[in-house]
Amino acid sequence: MADTAQMRPAAPGLLGPVVLHVVIIAGAIAMFFPFLWTIVTSLTPGAGLSVTPALVPENPSLEAYWRLFAERPFGRIILNSLGLAIATTLAQLLTSATAAYAFSRLPFRGRGVVFAIYLATMMIPLQVLIVPLFVELKTLGLINTYLGALLPTFASAFGIFLLRQAVNQVPRELDEAATLDGAGHFRIFWQVILPNIRPALATLTVFAFMGSWNSFLWPLVVLRAPELQTLPVALAGLQGQYTTEWDIVMAGSVVSVLPMLALYVFAQKYVVQGVANSGLK
Amino acid sequence: MKRLPMALGIVAVGSVILAGCSAPAENGDGSVTITYTNFISNDGNEQNLQKIVDAFEDANPGITVEVTTLPYSDYGTALQTDLAAGTQSDVFDLEYANYAEFQANGVLAPIEVSDPSVYRQSVLEAYQTDGTQYALPSSFSDVVLYYNKDLFDAAGLDYPSSDWTWADEKAAAEKLTDQAAGVWGDHQPVSFYEYYKVLAQNGGKFLNDDGTAVAFNTPEGIEAAKWLTEKSGTVMPTIEQGQGTPDFDTNLFKDGKLAMLHTGIWVFGAVADVPFGWDIAVEPGNTQQASAVFSNAVGVSSSSKHIEAASKWAEFLTSSDTMVDVRLDSGWELPPISDDAKLSVYLEKGAPENRQAVFDSLDGIALPPVAAAGQTEMQDIITEELVEAQAGRKTVEDALASAEQRINAVIGG
Amino acid sequence: MSVGTLGAGLTTPPAPARTERRPRRSRIRYTLTVLAFLLPSAIPLTAFVLAPMVSAAWVSLTKWNLLAPPVFVGLDNYAKLLSDPKTGAIFLHTLYYIVGYLPLVYFGGLALALALNTRLKGRSILRGVYFLPVVTSWIVVALVWRWLLNPSTGVVNTALSWVGIDGPGWWADPAWAMPSIIIASAWKDLGFVMVILLAGLQAIDPELLDAARVDGAGWWRRLFSVVLPLLSPSTFFVVVISLINGFQVFDQVYAMTGGGPGGSTQVVVQQIYDLTFRYGAAGEASALSWLLFAVVLGVTVVQIVGQKRWVTYG
Repeated sequence: MADTAQMRPAAPGLLGPVVLHVVIIAGAIAMFFPFLWTIVTSLTPGAGLSVTPALVPENPSLEAYWRLFAERPFGRIILNSLGLAIATTLAQLLTSATAAYAFSRLPFRGRGVVFAIYLATMMIPLQVLIVPLFVELKTLGLINTYLGALLPTFASAFGIFLLRQAVNQVPRELDEAATLDGAGHFRIFWQVILPNIRPALATLTVFAFMGSWNSFLWPLVVLRAPELQTLPVALAGLQGQYTTEWDIVMAGSVVSVLPMLALYVFAQKYVVQGVANSGLK
Repeated sequence: MKRLPMALGIVAVGSVILAGCSAPAENGDGSVTITYTNFISNDGNEQNLQKIVDAFEDANPGITVEVTTLPYSDYGTALQTDLAAGTQSDVFDLEYANYAEFQANGVLAPIEVSDPSVYRQSVLEAYQTDGTQYALPSSFSDVVLYYNKDLFDAAGLDYPSSDWTWADEKAAAEKLTDQAAGVWGDHQPVSFYEYYKVLAQNGGKFLNDDGTAVAFNTPEGIEAAKWLTEKSGTVMPTIEQGQGTPDFDTNLFKDGKLAMLHTGIWVFGAVADVPFGWDIAVEPGNTQQASAVFSNAVGVSSSSKHIEAASKWAEFLTSSDTMVDVRLDSGWELPPISDDAKLSVYLEKGAPENRQAVFDSLDGIALPPVAAAGQTEMQDIITEELVEAQAGRKTVEDALASAEQRINAVIGG
Repeated sequence: MSVGTLGAGLTTPPAPARTERRPRRSRIRYTLTVLAFLLPSAIPLTAFVLAPMVSAAWVSLTKWNLLAPPVFVGLDNYAKLLSDPKTGAIFLHTLYYIVGYLPLVYFGGLALALALNTRLKGRSILRGVYFLPVVTSWIVVALVWRWLLNPSTGVVNTALSWVGIDGPGWWADPAWAMPSIIIASAWKDLGFVMVILLAGLQAIDPELLDAARVDGAGWWRRLFSVVLPLLSPSTFFVVVISLINGFQVFDQVYAMTGGGPGGSTQVVVQQIYDLTFRYGAAGEASALSWLLFAVVLGVTVVQIVGQKRWVTYG
C-alpha cells in the first residue's frame, strides 16, 4: 500500500522490523488470550469458571452451541439484534454525516453553542436517564417496539463529533472547486465530502454497529416481549439467580463477538481502499 | 445522489414496520388477560412455567396469563423502572429483601388466600404485614453444610451431623486442611447473607425491634463475625487465592479440594456427578441452630385492573398441585407447601442421601433483618466491612463499629 | 487553516459575513439548507436525550424512591451530596482513573496505530486481533486480569519475582486496586484508540512525508513535525471522548473490584446506579449526575477553548 502515509519503523536496518514484529506479535498473543479462553470454556461441557483459565478444553464438545440454539429462540434473537444494529448504523451514518457537514461547512449564529449542546448529550450517564426516557416512550406508546429501542440512538454526538473532525480535515479547496462548477451544498456534501471521509465513515460504521450490538440497559428495559429480545439481554439471561452454566454463557459470547469482528475486518479494508480512491495524493 | 434516498427509505420503512408491533388489546368478551413478569423461570424453566400457566388457564376459563421472563441479574432494574412509570405487570416476582419497602409504599395489593394452610407457615408469614398477606412465596431454598465423604474418611473423622456445633466444625476443618496439597477444610462466604445467620446461630440480634438501629455490635456479634472472617487463610482460601470469585467455592468442592462447604441446595445439580462421595447436613450452630431460607415470592400490583384474577393466578402459581408436580418433577426449586407427604418424591431423588436435612433446617430459621429504610444499602455496608476485616485491613471490632455507625445513619431515617 | 472551529464559536460570535450580505430569499434558502443538514440529528437528540435530561434535572430537586410519587425538596439533594465526604471520594477515584488511563491508552494506541500502519506482514489480521479486546465482554476481561494480577499466583507477580521484585497486592490491595483497573482498561481500549488514529493516519497525504524525507528529516522528526500535527484532529477527538467516557467509568470497576477493596475504587456512576435502582434514592442520583455533568462540561469546554493552540485542521 504505497499510497498511504506510512511511517517506517524507527530503528534502522534489519533489526528494526524484526524487533517490531516480535513486539507486535507478542502483544497480539496477549490480546488474543482472553478470547481463546472464552472459546476453550465454551467447548468444555459443564465448565465452571475456573480461577486459573484452561488453555485446552477437557473433553471438547460443541454441546454448548447446540444447546444455545436448541433451547432458546436464538435465531430470532440474533435477527433482532442484527436488524436493530443495521438500522442504528444507517441512521447514525445519515444523521452524523449531515450534522458534521453543518458544523464544519455551514456557519451560522450560535453554532459553537449548538455543538456544545450536542456534546453535552454524552455527559449524563444513561443510568439516570433510563426512567425519564421510559416514561416518555410510554406516553408515545413505544414500549415493546423496535422503534422504541432505536429512537434514542438514532443520532449520536459521538458519531457527529467523529465525522466533524474528519470533515474539518478535508481541504476547503475541494469545496471551492466544486462551487465554481456550480455545485450547491447538497452536491458538495455528497460528491466531495462523503468520498473524502470514507475512513471515518467506516470507523463510525464499526462503532455504531458495536454500540447497538452490545447495548444492554435500554433494550432490557424497553423490549420486554420474548420475541423482541436482543442478544446481550438474552446472554444475561443465561446467568441464573444462583448458578450459571458458563460453557453456554461463553458460547453465547463467542457467537456475539464473531459478527463484530467480521464487520471490523471488512471495514478496515474499506478504510484503506477509501484512501486509495480519494484522489488525495 | 443515488444511495442517500435509499438509505433514508430503508430507515423510514423499517421504522414503520417495526412500529407495528405493539401491546395486546383488552378482550371484549368479559374474559381478562393478566400479565405476569418473572425471573424464576429464567435460565431453563420457561417450559415448566408454561405448564403451570396452561393448567391454570384450563381451570379458569376466561383468564389468560401473559408471561414475560427477564434475566435475574437485571430484573430489579426493569421492575423499578416499571414501578416508576406505572407499567408493572398485574403479577410480578419479588424477593424477600424488597418486600417490606414495596409493601410500605403501597405497591402491593392485599391478597385473599383461600387456603393458607397449604403453605409452609414460616415462609408464608414472612410476607405478611400486620396480619395481612401482601405477597405469596413461590419457592424456597435453604443453605446447608455440604461435605466430601472421601476427605473425611481419609482423615479418619466422623461425618458432620445435625448436633454439631461451631467447635466441632472448626476442629474438623483444621484437621482436614492441608494447604501444601491445596486441600481446604471449610468454605463460608463472608457476606451479609451469612452474617445475619451466624449472628442468630450465636444468639445475637441484627436490628432493634422497630428496625431503626443495629443491635449486632455486641460480644455475640463480634464472635459471630470472627467465626466468618477468621476462616480465611486458616481453613478457607483467602481473597487473593480466589475466594469470592463466582462459583469459586463450588468448583473447589467439585475438584475434591474442599471438605466442607456452606451453600444453598441449588448446587445439588452442579455437584451431582462428582467422582467422590458427598452428603449434606444441617448447618452447625453455636448457641442454637439457625438456617438461612431464601424464598422468592409473587405480588399483585395494587394498580392492577384485575386484582381478583391476578390473585387467583398468584395463588395457583404458588400452591396448586400442578405446580408441586412440575417443580418436583423437574428439580426446579422447592414448592413452599406444608404437606410433607407431597414432598416425599423429593427425598428419594438420589444424591445427596440426607435430603431430610433440607427440611430439618427449617426447624430453626434465621429470617433476614428488615430495616425501616435503606435495606439494600445496609446489606452492602455489612458485606463491605466484613470483607475489610477478612482481608486484615481492620479488626473485626473496628469493622463492626464502623458498620454500626454507617448503617444507623442510613436506616435511622 | 482552522476555519469555523468550535473554539471560535464559543468565545466570539461566528463571523456572519456570508449570510448578512445576501438578499432575503437567498438567506431563507441558506437557513433551510442549514436546517436540512441539522434537523435529522437535532430532532432525535432533543426528543430522546435532552428531554430526559431536563426530566432528570427536575427529579434532582425531589425525593423519589421510584415507588411513591416524588416529593419536591428543592436543593436538598445537592446540599446533602456536597456535605457528604463520600462524594469527594468517588470523584477523586474517578479522576485517579482518568489520569492513569488516558496517557496509557493514548500513547499505547498511537504506537499501535503507527506500527500497524507500516508494511507489516499480516497486518490486517493483527489489527483484527488488537481489536478483539474491544469487543470482548468485561466479564471475561476482568476475570483474566484478576488472574494475571493475582497477588500470590498471578503471572505478573511471578515474573516480577524472577527479577527479585516483590509484586504488590494489585486488586486485593486498596493502594493498587485502581492501577489494576487502569491497566486492564487501557489494555481493553487500545484497539479503540488504534482504530480512530489509523483512520486519521489514512487522511495524511503521503507526499508530505516523502517531502520531509527528501529534506532529510529523520523518523522522530517526521513524527513530531508532520504526523502528529496532521493527526491532531483525531487526537483531539480521542482525548475529548476518553475524558467524557472516563468520567462515566463503571463496567470495569463493577467487573473487577465491585468498588472495593475498602471502597478504594468506588466511582461516580456506580454510586448513581446504586442510588437509583438499589437504594431507592433517584433524586439524589439525579443530583449526582448533574454534578458529574457540570464537571465533565467544564473539562470539555476547557479542551475546546484550548484546542486552537494545538489542533490543526486541513
